[in-house]
Amino acid sequence: MDSVTGVATQTIVKPKRRRALKRNLTGYLFLLPWLIGFFCMAIGPILASLYLSFTNYNMLKAPAWIGMQNFTEMFTGDATFTHSLKLTFQYVFLSVPLRLVFALAVAIILNKGLKLLGLYRTVYYIPSLLGGSVAIAVVWKKIFSGDGLFNRFLEIFHINAPDWVANPSYIIYSIVALSVWQFGSSMVIFLAGLKQIPGEIYEAAAVDGVSRTRQFLRITLPLLSPVILFNLVMNMISSFQVFTSGYIIGDGHGGPIDSTMFYSLYLYLKGFSYFNMGYASAMAWVMLVIIGIFTAIVFASSKYWVYYGDGKDERS
Amino acid sequence: MKKTKAMLLASLFLVTAILVSACGSGNNNAGSVTTGNTNQPSEAGGAASEEQVELRVMWWGDQTRADITTAMLKKFEEKHPNIKVIPEFSPFDGYFDKLNTQLASGTAPDLFTLGSNILEYATRDVLLDITPYVGNEVDTSKISPQLINVNTFDGKLRGISIGANSTAILANTALFEKAGLPLPTKEWTWDDFIKINEQIAATGKDIYGSYDYSGEMDQFGVYLTQRDKMIYNEPEKKLGFEAADVAEWFTLWEGMRKAGSIVTPELQISADPDDTSMSLVAKGQVAMQFIPTNQFADFQKMSQDKLTLIPVPMGPNGSMISVQSSQNIVGYANTKHPKEVAMLMDFWVNDPDAAKILGNNRGVPVSSEMRAVLKAEASETDKVVYDYLDIVAVDDVDLLYNVPGSNEFKQELLKASQNVAFGRMDIAKAADDFYAQGQKILQANLSATTN
Repeated sequence: MDSVTGVATQTIVKPKRRRALKRNLTGYLFLLPWLIGFFCMAIGPILASLYLSFTNYNMLKAPAWIGMQNFTEMFTGDATFTHSLKLTFQYVFLSVPLRLVFALAVAIILNKGLKLLGLYRTVYYIPSLLGGSVAIAVVWKKIFSGDGLFNRFLEIFHINAPDWVANPSYIIYSIVALSVWQFGSSMVIFLAGLKQIPGEIYEAAAVDGVSRTRQFLRITLPLLSPVILFNLVMNMISSFQVFTSGYIIGDGHGGPIDSTMFYSLYLYLKGFSYFNMGYASAMAWVMLVIIGIFTAIVFASSKYWVYYGDGKDERS
Repeated sequence: MKKTKAMLLASLFLVTAILVSACGSGNNNAGSVTTGNTNQPSEAGGAASEEQVELRVMWWGDQTRADITTAMLKKFEEKHPNIKVIPEFSPFDGYFDKLNTQLASGTAPDLFTLGSNILEYATRDVLLDITPYVGNEVDTSKISPQLINVNTFDGKLRGISIGANSTAILANTALFEKAGLPLPTKEWTWDDFIKINEQIAATGKDIYGSYDYSGEMDQFGVYLTQRDKMIYNEPEKKLGFEAADVAEWFTLWEGMRKAGSIVTPELQISADPDDTSMSLVAKGQVAMQFIPTNQFADFQKMSQDKLTLIPVPMGPNGSMISVQSSQNIVGYANTKHPKEVAMLMDFWVNDPDAAKILGNNRGVPVSSEMRAVLKAEASETDKVVYDYLDIVAVDDVDLLYNVPGSNEFKQELLKASQNVAFGRMDIAKAADDFYAQGQKILQANLSATTN
């Protein structure tokens, strides 16, 4: 401590730590609004719903404790619950891959360096900003109904398409289409990821005579895999919670014939229309677990197909 | 160091700005509108000063109803300067979700409207008991006793009917003329209904006789009462019909569907008959649909053709259609101003100025005095409604209560009928499934209210 070097090291370490502390402080200050929101507004209801999931609560009388009854009824006595799970899975496994495929395809095309790239990027991004809204869903419903724009367009080619809204067998496709239409946000992220791949690699590969397909499979996809993982997880989590499009494009009650009875919509109906808020709370927590499981599966699998390019992948 | 300090300050400002703007965006009540009347100072001069009272009133409806109800409430404020009324209105879709949430959180308005589901709310102890105020703040002497009985539960009056109406068939006279058919009279039967639908549908490619009511609980309920049955037997707390009745009902409509005389399943969904802007009867493509009589004027407004009201087809017991309470005004059990709530209710149904402003929008006035006031100045369209009510007015009002869990119940019936209509299930299975589900829903909701 008394030696010159001792004093010197101390004076070097201190400012570093103070700077680090100040940097963290700034970060925390920016996080503050979200933290306040979470701790003041979100965590209370979240814990309350955990409690309510073990009760019978019709919202007009005090909740009555019934233990695991909501959960057992869900998994043994409720055909609509099973149906809503199946329908939601169908939706997720249709819309998420399609969305990612479109997003990647358009991103690759835009990455070729078109003029007006900024314009195209904006045009494809806008639907993902507005698409989740009620207004767009209402318009979508009109466009895809029996005598709407889409079918009138198909009539030009003498294609007699079914009613994509009023027919329970086909309504799922118009809802999936609405989701896929909003690929813009994923596309923008893919675009950024693509731009990070050095062009020299492709040039080198071209010189070596590698075909375009193999370039895509062996260069683009692996180097893009962290971004794919991100988009996959984010899209999957939000897709499981589909509500607005189902509510608006369907008849608001999961119809016709439960063809739009997505998990969130059933939860909403159970809680607010059928006066069974305890059951709805239980459903919310089950959904949390399901999404958690799927996310965990994706992350566990990522070890096998995601390359972070930092040398650690050599073990696989 | 200076740079970090500046950054710190900047982030602090940003955080504060976001917090303030987030808290500042005030209006929590979507659609709540302040009347704009400044509090008038209470009259000096002798009388004891009355305290300033604020009442929140909530109802459902469209813009027209919002305008006239707000005008009526303003009139009430004029006559009671110490009371300020805050109107809150919302569309029908989602009204009960909003109300239920407010009741659960103890923030319900002082007054709000209910329909025939008043039973559900009365049994959950959230409605003000008006009995102590009858004869004082609220005069019920001119109101038909049957309309009072409908809102009395366990000997306590829980609401005042604010409109009498009935169910009728809205008919497009132009389509009847085109088919060369006379308008049906009160004695027509369901067999006549089937025949007429066929004849009208034959007049054109996309023309149909009627909408498809196989999935509608209200119409099924009428059909049952015509046969000495009912949807819900309230005194015995059980369903008043069998699965076989459901199968009979489904078969009735399936026959017409196969003959092409009623609206196709897809069209039934996409051209909602309850929406005045989408109704194919108003548009001249379908000849008949059921409506509550108080909506007649709205439908006529949207149509180029001359529309009229005809009675519902008869069953073995007759038509069993009578005057009912279309809507009720109730008070919140925990209101801070029960006396003023009662005063507003009295104004709503007994004041001539209120009656003139409200007209027939929620149904015919429940007070015989107010009916006389309006009939004198009625328009042609309104006279159709009055004439129809004269035809069907029976002294007895059938006390038909909604089955507990009616929301879910309605959905199950609709689902079952759609399964039949889209050819996914045969009638017997659909009827049995629905009946079993219906029992389950009834039991679940009965035990919930006795909790």
